[in-house]
Amino acid sequence: MNNRVGIDVGGTYTDAVFFKNGRIQHTAKVPTESENLVETLMNAFDTLNISDEQEINQITVSTTLVTNAILQNRIPPVELLLFSGHGMKIDALPWPVNYTELTGEMDFRGREIEAPNQQEWESLPLSAAQANRSHVAIVGKFSHRNSLHEEQLAGFLKERHPSLRIALGHEWGQANFYRRSLTTYLNLGVSELYQQFAQNLQNALRARKIQAPIFILKADGGNLPLAKIRPIDSIYSGPAASVLAALTQIEPDSSSIIVDIGGTTTDIGLILSGVPLLSSKGAKIGGFSTLVRSLAVRSIPVGGDSVVRSNDQNDRGFIIEPYRLGAAYCLGGKAPTPTDAMRYLGLIDYGNLQLVEEGLANLLSPEQRTPQFLQELATGIIDRVVDRIIEAVGSLKREWEDEPAYKVWQVLHPHESKEFNTLVSGGGARGIATALGKRLKTSVRLGAFPEVSNALGAALARPTFDCTLHLDTYMKHYRVEETGEQGKWTGSLRPHREVEGFLETLVQKQAAHYDIQLQDMEKEPFDFFPIVQNYQTVGQIVRGAVHMRPGVIGRVRE
Amino acid sequence: MKRTGILFFPAFDWSLGDSHPEREERLLYTQEQLFEEGILDLPQIKQFSPRVAAIKDVLRAQALFPHPGTHLETLDPHLISAGSSLLLGEAQVKGDIHNGFVMARPPGHHSGATVWGNRGFCSLNNEGMLVNYLRAQFGIKRIAIVDTDVHHGDGTQDIFYHDPNVLFISLHQDGRTLFPGTGFVHEKGGPNAWDQTLNIPLPPGTGDEGYHYVLENWVLPRLQAFAPEMIINSAGQDNHFTDPLASMNLTAGGYGRITELLQPDLAVLEGGYSIEGALPYVNLAILLALAGEDYHHVREPQKQKRSSLTLTALKPYIQELQKQQQAAKQKFSIQNKAHFPKGNWFYSPHSVYYDTEGFQETRHDYIRECSHCGGTVYIESRRYTQKSILVRIPFQACPSCEQGGYDLWEHIQQSREDIISGLLQNQLQDRYYVWTKKEGLREY
Repeated sequence: MNNRVGIDVGGTYTDAVFFKNGRIQHTAKVPTESENLVETLMNAFDTLNISDEQEINQITVSTTLVTNAILQNRIPPVELLLFSGHGMKIDALPWPVNYTELTGEMDFRGREIEAPNQQEWESLPLSAAQANRSHVAIVGKFSHRNSLHEEQLAGFLKERHPSLRIALGHEWGQANFYRRSLTTYLNLGVSELYQQFAQNLQNALRARKIQAPIFILKADGGNLPLAKIRPIDSIYSGPAASVLAALTQIEPDSSSIIVDIGGTTTDIGLILSGVPLLSSKGAKIGGFSTLVRSLAVRSIPVGGDSVVRSNDQNDRGFIIEPYRLGAAYCLGGKAPTPTDAMRYLGLIDYGNLQLVEEGLANLLSPEQRTPQFLQELATGIIDRVVDRIIEAVGSLKREWEDEPAYKVWQVLHPHESKEFNTLVSGGGARGIATALGKRLKTSVRLGAFPEVSNALGAALARPTFDCTLHLDTYMKHYRVEETGEQGKWTGSLRPHREVEGFLETLVQKQAAHYDIQLQDMEKEPFDFFPIVQNYQTVGQIVRGAVHMRPGVIGRVRE
Repeated sequence: MKRTGILFFPAFDWSLGDSHPEREERLLYTQEQLFEEGILDLPQIKQFSPRVAAIKDVLRAQALFPHPGTHLETLDPHLISAGSSLLLGEAQVKGDIHNGFVMARPPGHHSGATVWGNRGFCSLNNEGMLVNYLRAQFGIKRIAIVDTDVHHGDGTQDIFYHDPNVLFISLHQDGRTLFPGTGFVHEKGGPNAWDQTLNIPLPPGTGDEGYHYVLENWVLPRLQAFAPEMIINSAGQDNHFTDPLASMNLTAGGYGRITELLQPDLAVLEGGYSIEGALPYVNLAILLALAGEDYHHVREPQKQKRSSLTLTALKPYIQELQKQQQAAKQKFSIQNKAHFPKGNWFYSPHSVYYDTEGFQETRHDYIRECSHCGGTVYIESRRYTQKSILVRIPFQACPSCEQGGYDLWEHIQQSREDIISGLLQNQLQDRYYVWTKKEGLREY
């Protein structure tokens, strides 16, 4: 059943694996042509050389399409219209894009404080000529509690400019007007590009008569069908894939520190009792703060090929630069690197020893170029790399431990401390494993399949699913955070069992819409807030959620 | 960057009763407002997570009578609220943050030096515990507390009444018209701490203009004269014109201006029960003012219905009040009991009503006259037939007052009197002993 293809598009290379019967059957590595990702993907797929393509059950792709479009500023302009209301001044936060503020305000219960002003709408700067190709994002403060103003304005604009592409903020149903605005903006901005990509990829696979469903990997480590994913959710899927790859190699339910050492960056993630740590805030990308759920991953600008330069400003006498100048010195490169230090200390067995000494000696003054100083320097470089990793691990652990608590119960039952293992992968893994283990005081394992680990993570990904209900029985209104669905509540004022069944129905409906199978569902206990007016309980606000956490469909055997 | 800390602990799973004002819902809409504004995305805002205070942290400021064990079952939320104050206060003193806002429930300012139960929704005094924690742990000497809750901060006043190094100022709706019925201008502090308590009872209907006038013309000059190392604001929000329990006329913007005028190092949420009409907006305005952001765009949806006292009407009232305050003289008698260590002991009796459970505490306070330190404090506290004792050796106690405390403590443990328990609150050495007739001595 679980014959899967995973393809990970990286900056330089695109990797692919074919996973069958618990083993990796084929792997492939092709250069990434960022101008033509579909061709790159098909090239990687073809290189896998799968004899019977009909036995593929699923293909999951981790792509940088959306990430790059945003970072390279290749998205069409979006007209951002805001019902910003009162409160904090809107420009207290940095806006990377222009916006127009409109009259109209809701409050936290979704009650209208001030109605919109149609005259303002008439004079909006959307000329008919522009309007034909224009993108408009409409976002209201508290629109996740009541979408009325957004819908009204959308209706008004659609009538006048039928070809407008309009996105509404309430579909991002979490609190945070600022992030909701920017998320709605970005998602609309990348939607055409994404749809084009999805269409082309679909066509290319169908042309090869491959019927397996295509999934896209998300920032939170889950995957969703190509046609169902919101494009912006596909950012940062690379680091997510590397955490998933680790999941395929560790004991289920164990806790691990994941360190992936690349050429110039090292990604660090955390797995807690088998579940990757999610970031407590939404992802940030290129000046945009979003509501996109992502795994908590720290990327630090240190890797095996980072340039090491001498420096008199600190005690160490050197600094590690955030860039590379080609390969390590011992492999014919221009500058000494941590890889050279590893080679000098005999932690790795490739690279020219003579070059190593020459490269490292360049960092020392002539009178210091003795074995003793070289040894000290090499050790110092490794220690510095480990230091940086340790700092990032500490910051991740703090993010986990310092999660804000809003209930007495949570404060009295803090996270139990966990027994961690460390899994190191990537080019420089072998060279720092020992030093890292000593400092972290954990056992350290080297990750398998370093060449294709992200593709492996993608291949074995499974969907994530969240359904968070906010119900106000007095206002007779319910909302779902993840889909932005808003509807009338017809049940009782003080529901108990009733609300469980209601949430279950919503979950089933949402899962059917996404076309995914639910498993290992985790229920959060409901919070009930009695609403009191004049010492009478007149209703309840109920909050509850179910989750399917990021995970993998199985373990991989070497 | 000057950072502003926030510790948001709404205790969503705790209430004092189903339809009680101190219920789960109280900070729900504040959360909605703050999160929707994206306030945590402000680069200068740093969020902290709560911690639980220890019983020792309580005993540093308050005696739990008859002994701590009798309170444990109900204290958890209070210990978290107080612990949150300690945590943010520590962050401020260490320089991690420039200022901070402890937006936690339950509140605490009605809980005094001796505690038999909950009163005015308070079981532990968050600011009281915080001030003594910072003094014991970080050697801070002079702290001012400005209580802007609409109710008199009688508990905080009680804790620091004999303490010359803590300036306590409370602005509140006149005690003749509101719980707890105290906080008049003649309450100016104990004999060794005379004029370190300032009460400003304001007439119902006082609005932004009047309140700011009092701050600028009375409170700020007093603060400046005291020159504290740290200012703590007990930031109750029930002066708001929508508050269901009080009759004042402040707006959210008015609260922002209070914060801007006081420049507190730490604001600690106290009361405020207009949970939809006021709290989301007042909390937002205070936080913005602390963070140095413009709060003038914050506006509560409701319009004022009550008319405010004009400044013209208020000014003469305030001037008269100031005169009365200055004219008030000490009225302490000296009562030396046989077992009291040598020196003159001032006597100050009063009683405290616990409205939550409906009982009375009778207090007999004795303070050793001292010109070197705050003086040894000896408090006999009675609830029905139970009698418990607090012996306090104050921060920076002189040798005679320290010895006086040990002698008294020795005496009560051997006394044949009807004393059932006691606390030796040795602030000087930061050591706290509880003695009960049944179980003897225990150090916390």
